[in-house]
Amino acid sequence: MREERWLAWGAWGVLVLGLAGQLFPILWMVNTSLMTQLEAATGSLFPKVPQWGNYLEIWRALPFFQYLKNSLLVCGLTTLFALGVATLAGYALARFRFPGAELFGGSVLLTQVIPGILFLIPIYIMYIAFQNWAREAWGLEVRLVGSYSGLVLTYTAFFVPMSIWILRGFFASIPKELEEAALVDGATPFQAFHRVILPLALPGIAATAVYIFLTAWDELLFAQILTTEATATIPVGIRNFVGNFQNRYDLVMAAATVATLPVLFLFFLVQRWLIQGLTAGAVKG
Amino acid sequence: MGLAKFWQRHGLAYLFVAPALLGMVLVHYGPMLQGIYMGFLDLKLSTLRLYLSAPFVGLANYREILFDPQSTFRTGFLYAVRTTLLYALVVNALTLSLGLLFAHVLNRPLLLRGLWRTLFLLPWVVPSYVVGLLWGFMWLKNGVINTLLVDVLHLLPEKPHWLIGPLTFFAIVLPTVWRSWPFVMVTYLAALQTIPQELYEAAKVDGATPWQRFRHITWPLLRPVTAILLLYGLLGTLYSFNIVYMMFGHGAGYPGEWGDLLMTNLFRNTFGMWNFGLGAAASTLYMLLTLLLILFWYRVFREDLKAR
Repeated sequence: MREERWLAWGAWGVLVLGLAGQLFPILWMVNTSLMTQLEAATGSLFPKVPQWGNYLEIWRALPFFQYLKNSLLVCGLTTLFALGVATLAGYALARFRFPGAELFGGSVLLTQVIPGILFLIPIYIMYIAFQNWAREAWGLEVRLVGSYSGLVLTYTAFFVPMSIWILRGFFASIPKELEEAALVDGATPFQAFHRVILPLALPGIAATAVYIFLTAWDELLFAQILTTEATATIPVGIRNFVGNFQNRYDLVMAAATVATLPVLFLFFLVQRWLIQGLTAGAVKG
Repeated sequence: MGLAKFWQRHGLAYLFVAPALLGMVLVHYGPMLQGIYMGFLDLKLSTLRLYLSAPFVGLANYREILFDPQSTFRTGFLYAVRTTLLYALVVNALTLSLGLLFAHVLNRPLLLRGLWRTLFLLPWVVPSYVVGLLWGFMWLKNGVINTLLVDVLHLLPEKPHWLIGPLTFFAIVLPTVWRSWPFVMVTYLAALQTIPQELYEAAKVDGATPWQRFRHITWPLLRPVTAILLLYGLLGTLYSFNIVYMMFGHGAGYPGEWGDLLMTNLFRNTFGMWNFGLGAAASTLYMLLTLLLILFWYRVFREDLKAR
C-alpha cells in the first residue's frame, strides 16, 4: 500500500507541474497583451497597469476586422464544402464495395505525403492560367488568385482527404443492419443514407467539422501566396503586421489572443464531441 | 456484366466518390505532377513567364542538389534535411512518451478528470502560427524564459541567446512538443479505457509487478494506436512550417542551420530567390524520402494494423 500512496503523490506532482507548463505560455500571451510597449520589450513579469487599450488599438492599427471577416468566411465555407464532399466519399468507402475502392482509399492517404510547397507553385500558376483562359475564350472575369473562391476551393480539396478518413471510421462503426432494414422497408439506397445513417453519424460529422475549421484557421502557407491585402486571413495579416512593426509585442500578443479566442470558444462548445470523435477514429480504426 | 447493370450496382458509390476525386486530382495530383515536371526545368524569375516551356535541363537540378559542393542551395538543403529528420525524431519521441505518461496519470481515479483533460488540451487549440509568435517572443534574450531562468530561479549565470546557434534546435522542439503531446495523451487515454480491467486483475493474481503489467498487457494493446499517432506525428513534423516561419526574425529571416526546417528552407528559396526549378526538384526528392520513411513505418507496424 505504501507503493500505492507514493504513486498517488507522484501522480499529483506530475499533474500540477505538467499543467503549469501547459498553461504558462497561454497566460503569458494574455499577460503581454496587457503590457505597455516598453514593458513587453524589456521582459517585465507583470504589467503595472493593464493596458486594455491594446485591444482597441489592434482594430485601429491594422485592418483586423477585415482579417477576421476573411478568416471566418474562408474557414466557414471550407468547412461546409469539405464536409459535404468528405461525408459522401467516407460513406462510400465504409459501405460500398466497388471496383477501385482500394485504389481510391490509398490515393486519399497518399495526398498527405505530398509536400504542400511542391504543389503550391503549380496551383498558383494554374489559377492564373485559368483566369486568362476564361477571359480570352469566354470573356469571363474569373478571379481565383486573391479571391475567396480560389482559397476556399484549395482549402476544400486540402482538408477532404483527412476528413474522409475520420468519417469513414464513423460510418463503419454504425451497424449495417440499419440500412438493410430501411432497404427492406422500400427506401432507396440514397434515402437509407440520408434518412437513417446521416442523423446517426451527426456527432462524428460535427467533430470532423470542428476539426476542419480548427485546421483551416491555422493555415498560413497557401494563404500567404493566394491572398491579397483585401482577402488576407488572420495569420497572413498578423505575419505582415509583425514584419512592419517589429517591436510592438504588446499589440502582436493582443492580436494573437484575439486570433485564438474564436477557436478556443468553438473548442469549449463542442469539446466532448470533438475529443470523442477524433480519438474514436484512432482507437477503433 | 453490362454497362447498365454495372452502373446500377456501383453508380451511387462512384457518384459519392466523384467530388472528392475531382478535388484531389485538381488540387493534389495534377499540381503535384506539374511540380515534379518543373523539377526538370530551369525555372527562374527570368524564365517564369514561359512556365512549362522554360528550358528543359533534365537532371541538372538534381545533380546540383545531390552532388555540387559549390552550390549554396545544396548546403542549406542538406542542413535543413538533417535538422528536420532530427526534429521529427526528437519531437515524436517526446510527444509519445509524455502523452503516454500523462495518459496513465489521468487514467487513475481523480477528482475532476474531465477538467484536467480539457486544461491540458488547451495548447493544442492554440493556432500554430500563434505558437510560433508567442514562443519566439518568449525565447528572446530579454524574454520571459530568460527572466525566469536567470533573474528569478538563478539556474543559469547569464542569459543565453536561444534563437542563435545550436540552441535554436531546442527552441523549435519545445513549442512543437508543448502543442502536440496533449492530443497524444487524450488518444492514449481513450485507448487505455478500452482495455478490459480483468486482464490486469488476472495479472495481479499471478503476481505481476506494475512494470510487467505495462510491458505485457498495456503496451502490446496500445501498439495500433501508437502506430497511427506516430504516422500523424511524422507527417506533421516532416512538413512542419508555421512555428518556425513565425518564430525567427519575425518570419522573414534565416533561422540558422539548426532552426531551419525543410519547408521553411524551400519556401525561402523558391519564393524568395524565385528559383522554382531547384525548389521543385528538392521537394520531389524530399517527398521520396518521406515515402521511404512511411514504407519503413508500415513494415514495422504492418501486423498491428491488420489486427485491428
